[in-house]
Amino acid sequence: MKISALAGCVLLLAIMGCSHLPGAPKPGVEVPRPDAIMNFADLYHQNCAGCHGNHGMNGAAFDLANSTYLNWIDDATLRKIIADGETDVQMPAFGRSAGGFLTDAQIDALIHGMRTEWPAADEKPQGQTPPPYTTALKGDVARGEQVYQSACARCHRESTQSITSPTYLSLVNDQTLRTLIIAGRPDIGQPDWEADIPGHPLTDQQVTDVVAWLASLRTMTPGQPYAQPH
Amino acid sequence: MRWVKQTYNWLESRLQLEGPVKDAVLHPVPRNTASWWYVFGSAAFTLLILQIVTGILLALVYVPSAGEAWNSLNMLNHQLPLGWFLRAMHGWGSNFMVAIVLIHMAQVFMFGSYKYPRELTWILGVFLLLMTLGMAFTGQVLRFDQDSYWGLGIGASIVSRVPFIGRSLVHLLLGGPIIAGATLTRFFALHVFIIPGALLLFACAHVWMVLKLGINEWPMPGRAVRRSTYIAEYNKLTHEDGIPFFPGAFWKDLYFSGAIIAAVVVCAAVFGPYGPSGQPDPTIIRTVPKPDFFFLWIYALLAYLPPSLETPFLLIAPVLAIAGLVALPFMAGEGEKSWHRRPIAVLTLVTVAVIWGVFTNLATYTPWSPKMNAWSSDTVPERYLHGLTPVERRGAIVFQAMQCRNCHSIGGQGGERGPALDSVATRLTEDQLIRQVIQGGGNMPAYGKNLSPSQVTALVSFLDTLHPHNQPEAVDSAERAVTTIPAETGAKSSTKVKASASPQASAAPAGN
Repeated sequence: MKISALAGCVLLLAIMGCSHLPGAPKPGVEVPRPDAIMNFADLYHQNCAGCHGNHGMNGAAFDLANSTYLNWIDDATLRKIIADGETDVQMPAFGRSAGGFLTDAQIDALIHGMRTEWPAADEKPQGQTPPPYTTALKGDVARGEQVYQSACARCHRESTQSITSPTYLSLVNDQTLRTLIIAGRPDIGQPDWEADIPGHPLTDQQVTDVVAWLASLRTMTPGQPYAQPH
Repeated sequence: MRWVKQTYNWLESRLQLEGPVKDAVLHPVPRNTASWWYVFGSAAFTLLILQIVTGILLALVYVPSAGEAWNSLNMLNHQLPLGWFLRAMHGWGSNFMVAIVLIHMAQVFMFGSYKYPRELTWILGVFLLLMTLGMAFTGQVLRFDQDSYWGLGIGASIVSRVPFIGRSLVHLLLGGPIIAGATLTRFFALHVFIIPGALLLFACAHVWMVLKLGINEWPMPGRAVRRSTYIAEYNKLTHEDGIPFFPGAFWKDLYFSGAIIAAVVVCAAVFGPYGPSGQPDPTIIRTVPKPDFFFLWIYALLAYLPPSLETPFLLIAPVLAIAGLVALPFMAGEGEKSWHRRPIAVLTLVTVAVIWGVFTNLATYTPWSPKMNAWSSDTVPERYLHGLTPVERRGAIVFQAMQCRNCHSIGGQGGERGPALDSVATRLTEDQLIRQVIQGGGNMPAYGKNLSPSQVTALVSFLDTLHPHNQPEAVDSAERAVTTIPAETGAKSSTKVKASASPQASAAPAGN
């Protein structure tokens, strides 16, 4: 009787412990429907990390975990960029309405996650309010070149950091340039609008002028791989 | 205890099983067959019993309808106590059964056991193997998830290629022209009644013949089989140097079967049940269905076959293979049994095993198939982005956004259909890279019409940075000559300057 009681206890313990066995399925379905994935980490990894980097930095494309950027751009704009993509840059449309795979709810989950789950998003911008995301001002090409020389050329003078080549300029639109100037890319050491000229944050007009000057350097036939033979 | 004896006697006087059972259990077998090599057949039978028991338990809950099957499997996994373990036992039991049946067949082939007088035992064995595989396939279908759905689609597509009657066969298989309500009912009947019924019948006949004809003696070089003398020789061997099957040889079967069941239990507990993976909904196209392990080789083989050979291969090869296996004992019914004297048999088995292993291995990572989400999920390694110029960095974005990554890996991540590009700059010069991107070639499509000149230039400038630090990038020998000779004569310009470093590049004419 003792043996059978012992065996019964062992069996009971085994059954009770079975949900802790390594093979026990995790809660929820193993592979959810693609449109039912609402987890930010999964959504970001599957759709964004390839270009924007793990955790929104150190990727080839813009660092989304940039605190200046996240505090600067509003949800509606982010939603539009994710859903419809951007023209003239390599940002594809991810929204279903534009032929992508993400539902509106998933896009909202992405935006919510970017704002709440990345530590960088908690940092409030120090100092002044940045120039607005879009502007009604008109850029002046000549003034833009002057601003460029004083604010940007310090780093971009070197050929390895040149941003004046028509190839580069044809792969970014004016808004990308404006975003890069204002938000910077702290992950790769590019300062934001406040630090381009230390102590003298760039104004909306100055940013607009620089963008206008860079835009004026665009050509009809960008992307030539070789210099013209001498 | 008298009533036990009385009941036994009452039953025995009517059934009269004692004699045959005693005969079977105590029949003499050659001493040297009490070997660990002879345990696979009994293990396969044990696994069959395990599958029947676990299968009956599963059938109590499973709902064989296209709308409900997936939910009932999830209910087993998550709601019924130990339901997941039951599914895991049945799934792993199936894997072990196919493996053990294959090993058993290889052992029988190597030991020449199919030769006279055991031809029919072998032929039944061939059909048992086919039925085991049939059980594995229909079982995969009943696990009605994305893999199952698309696997069934492939199966139906193969069947539809049979000339003249293909369409009718598909209707028969699926219960209609498409995978629908009747399909799962049909496969349930196949998996639960038709194939297992035949399997049990064949297995019993198989075991019956093993008992009646005796277990194959240990093959010895020089002891060739002759139809005229074999039976007498075998009887002499078993009577002069034989031991009763029980317990002489039986205990090894018992231990091995026990060990196999224990292995199934461990695998079930550690690795858990198979799926169900995603919902079997054909509108979900973001899925990468794969067949179960023992059908992976077919998956790889079909991927590598040129389209023109698919139908002939699918319809002719299985017929030839089965015909070959059935004909084997008639073609080689006599002669040497020992592998020491059968080089062709050894080579055949090794070749088949290697081919099977290679195709199975290939199918685990599907190098032929682009990884459709690599572009958006696999990041460019940080070390490859460090110190890039803005144009090169844009090139890295083009590389991702234009989905080059789906076929080409860098940093060990991405597709494997094309070559890995981690050191592509050491293999191709800038010109060659431009040509390759624009015109394609060597199995790569041409992207000239899909990329703008700027995108190509940026992309190539990025690819040109992909080389190890200690290996220089490839340079055109003519360019080297141009850059070296002027240097010797005091001139300093190169004809080729990267656009990223040269704003004047825009002055060049279009159309490169």
